[in-house]
Amino acid sequence: MTAFLAYTVIGIATGCIYALTASGLVVTYTTSGIFNFAHGAIGMLMAFTYWQLTVQNGWPQWLALIAVLLVIAPALGALIQRTLMRRLYGASISTTLVITLGLLLAFIGVATVFWDPGEPRSLPEFFAGNRVKVFSIFVSYHQITMITVAVLVAVLLRLFLFRTRIGTAMRAVVDDPELASLNGAAPDRVAMVSWALGAALAGLAGILLAPLVSLDIILLTLLVINGYAAAMVGRLKSLPLTFAGGLALGLAEAHAIGNLPPNILNIAKPALPIFFLYAVLLALPQARLRVGRVVNTHRAPRVASLRESLVAGAGFVAVAAILASVLSPGDLFTAGQGIVFALIMLSLVLLTGYAGQVSLAQMTFVGVGAFAMGKFFGGGSFLGIIAATVLAGIAGAIAALPAIRLQGLYLALSTLAFAQGMSQVFFKNTNVFGFGGRLEVKRPDILGVSFRGDRAFFVLLCVTFALCGIGVLALRRGPFGRRLIAMRESPAACATLGLNLTMTKLAVFSLSSAMAGLAGAFYGGLRGQVGLNDFEMLQSLVLLLLVSVAGINTVTGALMGGLTFGLFPKIQRSLPGIPSLSFLGAGLGAVALGRNPNGWTSDVGPRIARLRKMLRPGDSGTQDGREPEPNVAPAPEAVSSAQR
Amino acid sequence: MLSAETVDVKFGVTYALSEATVEAHEAQVTGLIGPNGAGKTTLFNVITGLQAPTRGRVTIDGEDVTNLKPHIRARKRVARTFQRLEVFGSLTARENILVACEIRNQWDSTSEDPRTVADEILDRVGLREVGNQPVDAMPTGLARLVELGRALAIRPKLLLLDEPGSGLDSSETLGLGQLLTELAEDGMAILLVEHDVELVMRISKEIYVLDFGRVIAHGTPGEVKDNADVQAAYLGAEVPA
Repeated sequence: MTAFLAYTVIGIATGCIYALTASGLVVTYTTSGIFNFAHGAIGMLMAFTYWQLTVQNGWPQWLALIAVLLVIAPALGALIQRTLMRRLYGASISTTLVITLGLLLAFIGVATVFWDPGEPRSLPEFFAGNRVKVFSIFVSYHQITMITVAVLVAVLLRLFLFRTRIGTAMRAVVDDPELASLNGAAPDRVAMVSWALGAALAGLAGILLAPLVSLDIILLTLLVINGYAAAMVGRLKSLPLTFAGGLALGLAEAHAIGNLPPNILNIAKPALPIFFLYAVLLALPQARLRVGRVVNTHRAPRVASLRESLVAGAGFVAVAAILASVLSPGDLFTAGQGIVFALIMLSLVLLTGYAGQVSLAQMTFVGVGAFAMGKFFGGGSFLGIIAATVLAGIAGAIAALPAIRLQGLYLALSTLAFAQGMSQVFFKNTNVFGFGGRLEVKRPDILGVSFRGDRAFFVLLCVTFALCGIGVLALRRGPFGRRLIAMRESPAACATLGLNLTMTKLAVFSLSSAMAGLAGAFYGGLRGQVGLNDFEMLQSLVLLLLVSVAGINTVTGALMGGLTFGLFPKIQRSLPGIPSLSFLGAGLGAVALGRNPNGWTSDVGPRIARLRKMLRPGDSGTQDGREPEPNVAPAPEAVSSAQR
Repeated sequence: MLSAETVDVKFGVTYALSEATVEAHEAQVTGLIGPNGAGKTTLFNVITGLQAPTRGRVTIDGEDVTNLKPHIRARKRVARTFQRLEVFGSLTARENILVACEIRNQWDSTSEDPRTVADEILDRVGLREVGNQPVDAMPTGLARLVELGRALAIRPKLLLLDEPGSGLDSSETLGLGQLLTELAEDGMAILLVEHDVELVMRISKEIYVLDFGRVIAHGTPGEVKDNADVQAAYLGAEVPA
């Protein structure tokens, strides 16, 4: 009984924090329609700022609390809304995800610049050492603080939303675009206040949570992510349900820790909130299809013809063969790594660029592929490559299943849960990657030809990328590709034509994860071995962001994004002052450029053409390598502006 | 062909539709008119399954489809266009229609070549010349014709048109009227929501008038025109209780 009570108190206290962070998320979502993935990172950043002010600079607690929660956090929230989010209303889910994920990674990157991740830090509890005996158990003052603060926040939020003008305006829910358009979009001031409030709540949660765990950048960011599950219980709308969800999550977690046998607990504990999120997603009722298509802000790039893609593919392989014979082993490895990443990003071109669905678990599928390549058919056989592809395709279907009938955001969250769950339960399991967490992955022999040597393997890799690129483009030109584009641009219209959206999404999701699995076989083969930390969810985010920056609509974008990522370790070595260069680079890049789905590579062609034209003034060919512009000038009432 | 019976749709405390009963029959255009916010689009959403009714039922060819998903209803050959355009903007006009033909080929056993069908439809709605333009770059009126062509691609028995004429000039409107009459003559049931009352009066056999979610009048164009409630709704005068 005593133990039960003790775990209940711990559960309620933690649940209160989840409720706090989740309610911040809900407030920003309902007023701006944007799910802020950076919420957890804001909480982390505020906890570190608070630590800096109190522990390092010796400020009194009350002053630091005022500074962080009433000044810095709201200012940060308002700034984000003013500079970034304001321009995203009506944007597609993949765009808003890329921008907020970019912020998430950028904040982690910034934090590592200021606070060296290698250095251990801790934040003392509030009223440290004080506790009170209630019935038979001790309750710390910190726990009491957590519960009191949460109750206070709940009451104040309720009063604020129902008794103040701006609160009432905030309740004008933006969750239904149709309704929102009738009422006019939420005024800017309302959105700004809600983002300020959301950031303050994230900060409060971070500061209260940090003393219970170590002050670790990634850990704290992810812990606040756990609160997402609570927000799902409230379906991103209802604050009371969100609070209930937070408490349920906290209690479930605490009692699981209290009751599960240690061997299971070790594996399952870090993944508990993730299972919770997964379960909530499964239980969510199917939302109705919304009318309200995505507005294209940029014209889609022209799709290469079969002939063009064959020529480009052959040229690419030829260049690769030459490079293979001249590059040093080190450079060959770097280039190979870039091509592997490009192959993974190609799977995102299919899924996100064409179909408009977002996966935050692509590295997980890569890991599944590497695992299959290393373990099955004796390791390093051609059949291993097939197994990697098939197994990852199945994993993709499993990841997508709970949310495939829901909208894009929930699907992305489901993959996030899958990635986190897999990294805790599968990759960290000693039965999977063996003792020491490293699995050897051999390179294959195909039809009697050995690809074990660095040069041969590199050429094989490039041939695979070229074939996949040609395949993806062929798919895009065909009926399936057209269906994907149609589904991306108006799911409602597709349904009224008789398209089964669920099956189409499942198909493209499996295909994309299968391609990531294929990349995984090569990822393992290139490195010779894979480790349990190679397939973290955050790596998947970096990949998604980098390909978004380079151009998630095109094969060229994937290639350039992959090569950029491949170069990061090299650049990192010359910039030791920035420990998370890839996070910072990908994050800032996405924040700056993520709004253009065609990416920076789409600008290169036209620029070169313009340059050529400048050099040869007599040339009057098409300027940007596209079809000539139609003769009809888009009238002022052109479709896109009319829909805006 | 279609019957929506005593349909209620409640948003919060307001009724978008209240005991609305509307039928559409083969081989005729049925007009559906009413002021803005009368519930016309909501009714279309209920019929196509994008909006669940709070009460009431929808039958197609006598079969109750109220609980069927949108794509299953579409496979019963119900097609529609949208008041706020739902075109596939980055695809060309031809591809918009082609993809619809291809989607239909998935659920309909047909040996028709989607490309041939798409070209036929392009000709029929008069978009052949702009067929290779991306729809995002088209004026609204043409984009509406793309939606109409796309709806025709599933060879509908029931066609729901949500303001197909807005954005068209007078000669294009004439062409549209002609096309709809022909389609009805071929046996299609057409339910037409349109602000151009003159067009509706000219081509419809029957007209329903919606106001504040209720059917306030129903009959031939002549009957509806003379109805006092209708005149009140359109002129904004008090409706006698």
